[in-house]
Amino acid sequence: MSVATADVITAPEFRAAGTDLSERRRSGLSCGSVIDLTASPDTIGIAWNADGAARIGALTAIAAIASDARLAQAYPGITAAAQGLATPQIRHMATLGGNLAQRSRCWYFRNPQIGCLKKGGSDCPARSGNHLYHVAFDLGPCVAPHPSTMAMALLAYDAKIVTDRRSGLSIAEVLGDGSNGTADNLLAPGERIERIELPAPLASERALYKRAISRTHAEWPLVEICVRAVIEGGVFREVHITAGGIAPVPLRLAASAAALQGKPADAATIAQAAELATSGAKPLTMTGYKLDLLRGLVRDLVERIAA
Amino acid sequence: MTTTTVNGRAESLPDDPDALLIDIVRDQLGLTGTKLVCGAGVCGACTVLVDGAPVTSCLMPARAAAGKAVTTVEGIGATRLHPVQKAFMAHDALQCGFCTPGFIVESVAFCDQWRATRGTAAPSREEIGAALSGHLCRCGAYDGIFRAVADACAGRFDGDNVAAPRIEARDKVTGAAKYTVDIKHDGQHEGLILRSRVAHARITALDLAPARALAGVTAVSLLGDDKILRYVGEPIAAVAAKDRKTALAALAAIKLTSEKLPAVVGLDAGRKDGAPVVFDRANRKRAGNVSEAAGGLAPWKQNIRGPTAVFSTRAKKARNWVEEARQAGNKLLVEGTFRTATQQHACLEPHAAVARFDGDRLTLHASTQQVFHLKEQIAKRYKLDHDKVRVIADHVGGGFGSKASLGTETIAAIELAREAKAPVRVAYDRQEELSVAGYRPAAELKVALLPSDDGKLKALSVTAHADTGAATNSTIAGLARLIYPAEAKDLSDFDVISNLPPGAAFRGPGGPPMAFAVEQAIDEAALRLKVDPIALRKRWDPDPNRQRLYDWASGLELWRNRKPQQSGRYRRGIGVATGYWLYLWQPNVKVEVAVKSGRIVASTATQDIGTGTRSVLADTIAREFDLEPADIDVRIGDSSLPEGPGSGGSRVTASVMPPTLLAVRKLKAAILEQATRKPAPGSNAPWRELIARSPDIAVAEARGEDGKNTAPGIRSPLREVGLMGMVFGWMMRRFSNIAVGAGVPSSVQVIEVEVDTWLGHVRVLNVHTGIAVGKIAAPALAHSQACGAVIQGLGYALYEARELDPNSGDVLTAGMEDYRIPGIADTPEIDVHFDEAGFDHVLGNSVGIGEASTVPTSAAVANAIHDAIGVRLTEIPIRPDRIVAALKGRDAA
Repeated sequence: MSVATADVITAPEFRAAGTDLSERRRSGLSCGSVIDLTASPDTIGIAWNADGAARIGALTAIAAIASDARLAQAYPGITAAAQGLATPQIRHMATLGGNLAQRSRCWYFRNPQIGCLKKGGSDCPARSGNHLYHVAFDLGPCVAPHPSTMAMALLAYDAKIVTDRRSGLSIAEVLGDGSNGTADNLLAPGERIERIELPAPLASERALYKRAISRTHAEWPLVEICVRAVIEGGVFREVHITAGGIAPVPLRLAASAAALQGKPADAATIAQAAELATSGAKPLTMTGYKLDLLRGLVRDLVERIAA
Repeated sequence: MTTTTVNGRAESLPDDPDALLIDIVRDQLGLTGTKLVCGAGVCGACTVLVDGAPVTSCLMPARAAAGKAVTTVEGIGATRLHPVQKAFMAHDALQCGFCTPGFIVESVAFCDQWRATRGTAAPSREEIGAALSGHLCRCGAYDGIFRAVADACAGRFDGDNVAAPRIEARDKVTGAAKYTVDIKHDGQHEGLILRSRVAHARITALDLAPARALAGVTAVSLLGDDKILRYVGEPIAAVAAKDRKTALAALAAIKLTSEKLPAVVGLDAGRKDGAPVVFDRANRKRAGNVSEAAGGLAPWKQNIRGPTAVFSTRAKKARNWVEEARQAGNKLLVEGTFRTATQQHACLEPHAAVARFDGDRLTLHASTQQVFHLKEQIAKRYKLDHDKVRVIADHVGGGFGSKASLGTETIAAIELAREAKAPVRVAYDRQEELSVAGYRPAAELKVALLPSDDGKLKALSVTAHADTGAATNSTIAGLARLIYPAEAKDLSDFDVISNLPPGAAFRGPGGPPMAFAVEQAIDEAALRLKVDPIALRKRWDPDPNRQRLYDWASGLELWRNRKPQQSGRYRRGIGVATGYWLYLWQPNVKVEVAVKSGRIVASTATQDIGTGTRSVLADTIAREFDLEPADIDVRIGDSSLPEGPGSGGSRVTASVMPPTLLAVRKLKAAILEQATRKPAPGSNAPWRELIARSPDIAVAEARGEDGKNTAPGIRSPLREVGLMGMVFGWMMRRFSNIAVGAGVPSSVQVIEVEVDTWLGHVRVLNVHTGIAVGKIAAPALAHSQACGAVIQGLGYALYEARELDPNSGDVLTAGMEDYRIPGIADTPEIDVHFDEAGFDHVLGNSVGIGEASTVPTSAAVANAIHDAIGVRLTEIPIRPDRIVAALKGRDAA
């Protein structure tokens, strides 16, 4: 144990289940006041509109999302993402809102003795240092990938976020475009996420989620993607592909999706879409491999969704 | 005030928003079965049930448990063991036991839910692997855990009968086993260590007064007399206070001024001319030691110590022949540069010590691999009478080489306890454990292997540079002398010292890196010579123990059915590799075997770090008396017992078995002599009757020399390499109290992998591990050790690497999510084959298994990957980034 320096977070922080915050408080990284969130009928559980659209309370546990049969039917990409993140014990505790608003997993940010942009510092030590697990789409001054798997899946569904102050917010409106290196989200101080609203699912849409990791389970993704598509008569309609682990915010792989849209679901089309997954990529010295993994994941999931 | 229910009892919860559920369970209620390991929800050792759902109590705010029912491991099986607990005991699904309570809690929840919906169907490995993915076991007990959970779900442990091959298993599955971190004396203080923030600095002032001014705070300096800090995390001072929060405030109050010095970080920077020098000539003795024994003399210039080349033979010839072959473009010359990563021990129980003075008597509970030697080191350092120091380690949550010295945790605990006049506990947090508690140094190995025209091994050259940090004494290349005899060998070892924490001995220290390089070179030679890789090893490696293992390996169906190289996304391959470790034993070890109140009691001052030493003793003695192991009381883990061996160098079994057997022989004679009544004629348990009626008798025997008559080809490996080997052996005995015996404990592994060429993922499908370490003393436990050795080796091969900031020298992988050890789902099917011959000259015929069994794994994996994808991976860990880079023929970052 060493003495903490000034590179800590002193602002008040919300606490849902504490799966992220407790670790930061133990390490001394976070030492402001804690505001515990308590659930109300509006902020916990899954509710359904008449048109088949779901609303998920921000304090709903990840495990509840992962195991919800109706959700799995309507939004398979979301339940698959919930099943794929963290560990069974964490999924029992952690909440959807907490997953969206969690702080970066960057190993410099997490060290209370190293300054960084997200802690009021003037530069990103990962950029000039060891960024093995960092971004391959260098979109801003901070090179840590956004940690929220759920945000990446919700992006594929064009979900809207409702806070205690605002509603109808897109994922991009809440998480930004990566150009702000000082924060993990753009919520105002004291603003809290209340629920997520999903559009009604499309007829016969399918979705898959997968992360590339070195071990079998329980690892932050090197790269993760969610593919959502409607295939009619062997032709791709309505393709959405989003990716995480590669940029400061979850990304839409628009070029890949466009390459599939309206095209026949054949191997050549899919291979071309996979190649286009890295359009706009700007890897760091150590993260070029993530582009290979991204291409592999897109090819893998699109092939399977078309199968 | 709010309340929660813990194991059926209402308990109050504190108002402190930072109180976590684990604090309530461990500190407020003293339920120490729940373990704190990673503090980040990664390892699952702290898992408890909240309203029936497993959660990580290290992250759950205490107030979130208000109005809920909490069940800890102590609440499971409190009246009657749960089938899961019985299954873990029966399948030996545990080693050191530190992760076991967490696994038990999760497995119980899984099993109960499974049986409620699925009856007695057995879950698949995939289902068990997913359910237990939030748990980590560093010993690698996963093979047994798979079997235990499947059988418990299938209803095979519903009965009352419970048998356990490991005699302390019940304590470990119920959470009753006490480790050093669980010790809590009345009035005990908590100690913390102030560490360097920078990689290189000179301290100009250290003022502990502001810390001491705080109520109830004790502070001591830990600085040497040179006032130089040589790595991030070097200890500076220690404080103790009634609680951790006050101790943290005391750390923050210490005033430290220092002058930053230029630093050098890592293997490449350390070798550059003009790099800042870490140890000047006067301070070289401060360097740590990365081997199991003391080192010899070696040249030392700036940050490079070496070459140590005593194991070379005709080195100049070897160099010349390699050079000639290179000039001539000899296609048989195999050359390569291999890199291995720094491997952290990552013991789940951190380094910890609890010191208590009663007058001038010191009692130290320590998480140590050497209770007896630690007592001697403490007595010497603090000028205490040996009989006034007692070191106790009932259970040790893993060691792997990192707990074999008098460490900072012990020094701090003793000095703080003396100052505070109160017991003090010092336990490293995970960040300390994964940065400053030792590691197997990374290495760069340059290998040249030259077969002769007639297919023999002509020359072998290995040059190893080890990334030892603030330590020296790496032996990697030198180990290539004791295998594959050649006409000439040029073997040079270098330490590259830099401003990084000191490395330490780690399970077969230089063996795995040597094997990773040399075994791949052998594999490559086999390809070029167009010889079966096992056949080539059989030709080039005459060791009789390994000859038998090669015969076994070449007969494996997996090996015989190897397929030609594949194409497509998923490609499978099979690789083989060989490993060995020295047969070491400790002179002067004594074991007392006694009859006390009608029971057999065995005593020796050794310890069980998860290896199964208690059971080795109990099983051995039980066999001799025709009793059950449970009939034997084994007393270890206490330095006041007769001198016992340290748990390092795979030496425990070979050190305790011979004196135990001698003592048993004498005790039998004494029992018979003093027996007033002979057993009833035809008694089927004559010894049981005799012992029950015997007066108290104690016999202590010392470890004598081995017999001289060995099987053909079995000789002392050091004698075999000539004068330098004999000098080396003499030094080991003289300065490290380790004897090198005849015969070489060996392992040959055949491994099948599947490579996902799209995602760079390597899945290990099957492992066959053949092990020759003589007669197996405790078969179920040896099986667990063999599997654990493979699993640790897979971590070394595929996942584990310490990552640093290259500029500051900060360890970035200081948590369990970033330092990646294998999980249960990464565990392949493991087939263990024991060849029990080869050590007839050792009384009891058994030598240690711990190290030989882990040496070949990384090389076998790399050879299998080459077989699968046709590309040789020369750097470990073989992560996805390296696989995709290798497939594209470019360098990974």
